[in-house]
Amino acid sequence: MADSDCVVIMGSNMAENHPVAFRWPMKAKVERGAKLIHVDPRFTRTSAMCDLYAPIRAGSDIAFLGGLVNYVLNSERWNSDPFFRTWVATYTNAATLISERFQDTEDLDGVFSGLMDYTGDVKEWPFNGFLGEYRNETWQYTGGGAEATGWTADTQRSGEQAVGTDRGEKKQPGKEALAKKAGAKGPPFDQLVRTLVPPPPERDDTLKDPRCVYQIVRRHFSRYTPEMVEQATGCPRETFLRIAETILENSGPERTTSFAYAVAWTQHTNGPQIIGCAALLQLLLGNFGRPGAGILALRGHASIQGSTDIPTLYHSIHGYMPHPSAMKDDDHESLAAWLAAETQATGFWSRTPAFMVSYLKSMYGGAATPENDFGYDWHPKIIGDHSHMAMFVAMNEGRVRGMFCIGQNPATSLNAKLERAAMRKLEWLVVKDNWIHETATFWKNAPEVKSGEVRPADIGTEVFFFPSSQVAEYDGSFTNTQRLLQWHFKAADPPGDCRTDPWFTWHLGLRLKKLYAGSKLARDQGFLNLVWNYASEDPADQRLGEPSMPKMLKEINGYYSADPARHIASANDLRDDGSTACASWIYCGVFPAPDDNRSAARQPDPPGVAGAQLGWGWAWPANRRIMYNRASADPQGRPWSERKQWVWWDEGKKRWVGLDTPDFPLDKPPTDKAKPGATGMDALPGTAAFIMKSDGVAWLYVPQGLVDGPLPVHYEPAESVVRNPLYRQQSSPVYKYWKVSGNPLASIGDPAFPYVITTYRLTEHYLAGAMSRWNPWLTALQPELFVELSPELAREKGIGNTDWVIVSSPRARVRAKALVTRRMRPLRINGQTVHQVGMPFHWGWEGLVTGDATNEMSALVGDPNVSIHEGKAFVCNVQKA
Amino acid sequence: MIDAPSSTWFTAGPEWHWLIVAYFFFGGLAGGCYLLAALIDLLGRERDRPLARVGYLTVLPCAALGGLALIFDLARPDRFWHLMVEVHTWRPLLQWWTPMNMGAWMLLAFSFFAFLSALAAATEAGWLRWRGLLKLRPPGALGTVIVVIGALLGLYIASYEGMLLAFTSRPVWADTPLIGAVLALTALSMAAAYLVLFARWRGWDLPGLAALRRIDAQALMVALVALAALVVSLGGAAQALLSPLNLAMLAGVLAIGYAAPLALRFTDGWPRGRSVATAAVLALAGGFLVRMLIVFSPYGAHA
Amino acid sequence: MAEPMGFFTDTTVCIGCKACEVACKQWNQLPAAEGGQNTLSGDSYDNTRRLDGINWRHVRFVEQFDEARTEGRWLMMSDVCKHCVQAGCLEVCPTNAIIRTEFDTVVIQSDVCNGCKACIGACPFGVIEMNPVSKTAQKCTLCYDRLQAGLEPACSKACPTDSIHFGPIKELRQRAEQRVAQLHAGGEKRAFLYGADEKMLGGLNAFFLLVDRPEVYHLPPDPQLPSRNMPMAGLFSVLGALAAAVIALVNFRRRIE
Repeated sequence: MADSDCVVIMGSNMAENHPVAFRWPMKAKVERGAKLIHVDPRFTRTSAMCDLYAPIRAGSDIAFLGGLVNYVLNSERWNSDPFFRTWVATYTNAATLISERFQDTEDLDGVFSGLMDYTGDVKEWPFNGFLGEYRNETWQYTGGGAEATGWTADTQRSGEQAVGTDRGEKKQPGKEALAKKAGAKGPPFDQLVRTLVPPPPERDDTLKDPRCVYQIVRRHFSRYTPEMVEQATGCPRETFLRIAETILENSGPERTTSFAYAVAWTQHTNGPQIIGCAALLQLLLGNFGRPGAGILALRGHASIQGSTDIPTLYHSIHGYMPHPSAMKDDDHESLAAWLAAETQATGFWSRTPAFMVSYLKSMYGGAATPENDFGYDWHPKIIGDHSHMAMFVAMNEGRVRGMFCIGQNPATSLNAKLERAAMRKLEWLVVKDNWIHETATFWKNAPEVKSGEVRPADIGTEVFFFPSSQVAEYDGSFTNTQRLLQWHFKAADPPGDCRTDPWFTWHLGLRLKKLYAGSKLARDQGFLNLVWNYASEDPADQRLGEPSMPKMLKEINGYYSADPARHIASANDLRDDGSTACASWIYCGVFPAPDDNRSAARQPDPPGVAGAQLGWGWAWPANRRIMYNRASADPQGRPWSERKQWVWWDEGKKRWVGLDTPDFPLDKPPTDKAKPGATGMDALPGTAAFIMKSDGVAWLYVPQGLVDGPLPVHYEPAESVVRNPLYRQQSSPVYKYWKVSGNPLASIGDPAFPYVITTYRLTEHYLAGAMSRWNPWLTALQPELFVELSPELAREKGIGNTDWVIVSSPRARVRAKALVTRRMRPLRINGQTVHQVGMPFHWGWEGLVTGDATNEMSALVGDPNVSIHEGKAFVCNVQKA
Repeated sequence: MIDAPSSTWFTAGPEWHWLIVAYFFFGGLAGGCYLLAALIDLLGRERDRPLARVGYLTVLPCAALGGLALIFDLARPDRFWHLMVEVHTWRPLLQWWTPMNMGAWMLLAFSFFAFLSALAAATEAGWLRWRGLLKLRPPGALGTVIVVIGALLGLYIASYEGMLLAFTSRPVWADTPLIGAVLALTALSMAAAYLVLFARWRGWDLPGLAALRRIDAQALMVALVALAALVVSLGGAAQALLSPLNLAMLAGVLAIGYAAPLALRFTDGWPRGRSVATAAVLALAGGFLVRMLIVFSPYGAHA
Repeated sequence: MAEPMGFFTDTTVCIGCKACEVACKQWNQLPAAEGGQNTLSGDSYDNTRRLDGINWRHVRFVEQFDEARTEGRWLMMSDVCKHCVQAGCLEVCPTNAIIRTEFDTVVIQSDVCNGCKACIGACPFGVIEMNPVSKTAQKCTLCYDRLQAGLEPACSKACPTDSIHFGPIKELRQRAEQRVAQLHAGGEKRAFLYGADEKMLGGLNAFFLLVDRPEVYHLPPDPQLPSRNMPMAGLFSVLGALAAAVIALVNFRRRIE
């Protein structure tokens, strides 16, 4: 970001919630004169730092971004500067032709072709929550690309639906059968991968064919005019146009614009589509793979990035590989079937067999052999949506017996009363945290207990509390938002019985292994064969019973099965024959030798020398700081400009060189042609910068991987005070909603809940407050729950500054103090005045300062791709208390 | 947005409250009493000597009370001596430019002279046996030197608080140079009123009383002029006096210190009758109120 | 004496994160207001409210929006002791508790201070107040202990956007002037330095870049030393005393006649 000429912060309050990272846009602004832009429902501390601020209605992001796309496509500059045309034609799928059967939202007034009722739940797990679903065969490339597989973000493909259920579509041959046909029972799997190679999609390089992606995108966004943007978002037309001009001015061969977002883009019923829309815009502007460009997901503090790389996600295993699923019938029946289903034969993902087998070897070690599919059958399999919301709905139905709650505080989380009701159905609950927070005391101090509605004596849940070490009390690594691993060193012993999370998990595993020892049951074999050798040789660890963190990092990095002391230096060295073990292929190389922990490297570039700080920490993959950086050079391999040079082809050395680790086969020349029928990178030309894609190009139009459409569409939030100004379809037809008691939704424009509410965090607190409400230095800075509202609304409701008010949603009522401020403003939407209020969600009943939990009001409703809730836009009422 | 009439508006209050009002009151009374007692000793009639004696005997406890008020206004009373001794070197600490440091030394010196004079007065009253102590009072040379120095110190104690307050950046205090003058003049009026009241209580009919009553009245009149000048000298900063509390105190000063005595004079005749005592009480109360007003006035700036 | 050191606080890049406040409290082990159980001030995001004995850094928030929201600014400024070259607190301290250090900073020695509070009213910026725990007057020490160990102060170390610059005053002034010139060139004509030259109390060793009148940030436009009042206040105290003496003398002299 420090290299950006323009930074658009949207869906994020970066200055407040990522203040340390915010030093980089500020550096760009102060040192390079970069323009900072903030688009947000509230004027925040981020807005205060920006050159341009656009107020928008919460949940109208795609209307705004779609407006930008439309503006760019119709601008003179974009249509006349050859840079854009070349970039888009070479590095995106703009020229690819889409099936004639595809029908856009333009044709169907807000929905895509293939929409149908959802019938995918099975009786073992009827908690997937889909309202509807799309059959995406009409969305595909022409020329047979429909067979391409292995899309990592595909919730559908990762097993929430039973593939075998015949709903009228042509039944695809099972992957098991496919694998058998390829003769792939065990390694090597090369032949299997070769059978998966799709025929190349049809293209029209003139971009004139009405079925090409470029033309579809143009048509799709034609209704997102500046006037429509103003109507839908409330952002004044002039402000929108100034922002559009600024972004366009700061894109091109000499200049780059970056986008930064956080959970204010994700926490919607169409979050991934918002991000996709920004990606589409950035692709059109050539702002990817280049310094100061891209879309930066601002991940949470500490190691949220790390917790998706080494995932706490239910639907993926390490390194963004799909989780084996029991719902995929024969698709995931065996390792070969899984590989057939999930390997993308062309592009870098063709190495999936090596990654998967190495992963299984890291799990089961010597017990994993070619004969037993490397223990594939021992691996747990999912049976549906096991995300937070689905799990709590299941828990409320009595389907979950116990829960380990580590680093979470669900008692003040989404539709909190419902979550507490669910926890009352648990037999046991383990809370492991730094402080005794609301989830640990929900059975005695929750509002419904205090009010007498629920008696602790009637709650059967046995609650255990384990005190946790703080981060400075143990060694370990953080993976930050830049995918940068940085080792942190222990500074002091933890007090008393406080122990690390790895300590807890390791000992739990050891005890369970002991418990199951000698079992002959098939289901226990995975547990018994699990590699669990983390005993530390360090006396400081031994004294506390702590496991060895370097040993864990080693397992993640990978080692040779025959010589476990030898670490693997690069993911290119991973094999599909069991000779290598590696928990997470993307982290391969962080610990290339026993005495070389690269995440602990602390060698900055010399001042004044251009570089990528490759000696500071280690970024996955392969210590690469900008992904897809092949795109920082033109099709011939030359930097687009001197100012923005990053990685380029050195004709003399016949290699890709530059300031960063090139994200391309080092010796593959830019002039290289695709080899028909080949696998991996050989199947792609020397211009295929987007090496993780099967066709080597970035996708403006997304035929696979998203369950709610190949293009972004402005949908209203599940709860909205207005009708969708763009389409007859009000909200996403396929979002997730759990229709259970206590989780009602307001109807469109419900007069009982006339205001838009958005929820957020403050710099001064940490998430639900469990970590910050005990620290008097922090609580004094933001002591009380408040609701921010405009003076206009306050006047209308007779509310004075710091008055107590009641804020209510269809789910709950909470009490807060009014913070009346002109930073909030009424908007004109479709000719109607819309008031927005905002509330932080840091409070609960434990800690030095207490207050109602804002999340009592939110609903179990969310996105169909990633099952995240819609906490950033719903409806409420505000009354003086 | 703030439009401040003076740069003093941006400061914090030192939280000098009732103990400082008390110190100003007792210090002023002590200073004034010593001056009057010394003048009675030096220039008055022999018959008025009891008045001077009462004066000296009042000065010592007042000075002591004032000193105690000061010490207990310190957040660390145990460290009061840090005002006079350099802690790290144990050398005496003399800072001629800081009124508080000088005030501490002067109060110590004044208390010493007050003590000497009180010894003489106590001896004269027959409370002490050793007649030699009478030499500490005029008409002898030693006594004369003592009371002249004591009277000058008394004047210092009665007036230096003006510098003490001006040596800040606070609203009102630092916006006028006239606080010292008001304090000195009202100190004199308070002391005169006090002696009149005391004589009245004991039923003394002494020739000096008439002079004291005149002194009281004249000092009050000049103090009123000084007070008016003070308000004018504040300029825009006079805005601070417009807070409800400050207005009430100002009204109190004018009503009790001036309007009431004047009214008494016209209704009950001057200088006869009970009004003499009443006027004296009012003068004392007015002196106290004016000190309250001065000490608390800066807080009006932020209202 | 070492080189004069200080802070240059560029308010245009302050994001109001209050990391400086917390870092200061942590390093200097200062208590929280009300033990942390503070009340919401309702004044923007400022619940610290002011500099005092337990808040040596204070981030001020100023919301400037017109009714139509066409113009809008949210100014933030991390305020601190100015470490004036001519320091009001230092000149009034009657116990020598306040000293000037080898870094040209102004420090209150807690072991000497007896809580007379003279410095509180003397500071033209309202920086100093009592610390209820030590019962002495306290304020920013510019992390004297860290400076002596060759470290930069906690607040500037913690500042994520480099709003708080620490360094030799000479260097800071250069850097600040460059920044003002840069802002002027970029169209922000309102930018100016507050206290960066000798005109203000001989120079503030903690000076600021502001984009509005000082009063907006609760800073005095024209701070003065307490001693400026002394000649006149002294004169009038003497005149008042003289007047009192004359009144008394005159009445007794008449008596003699």
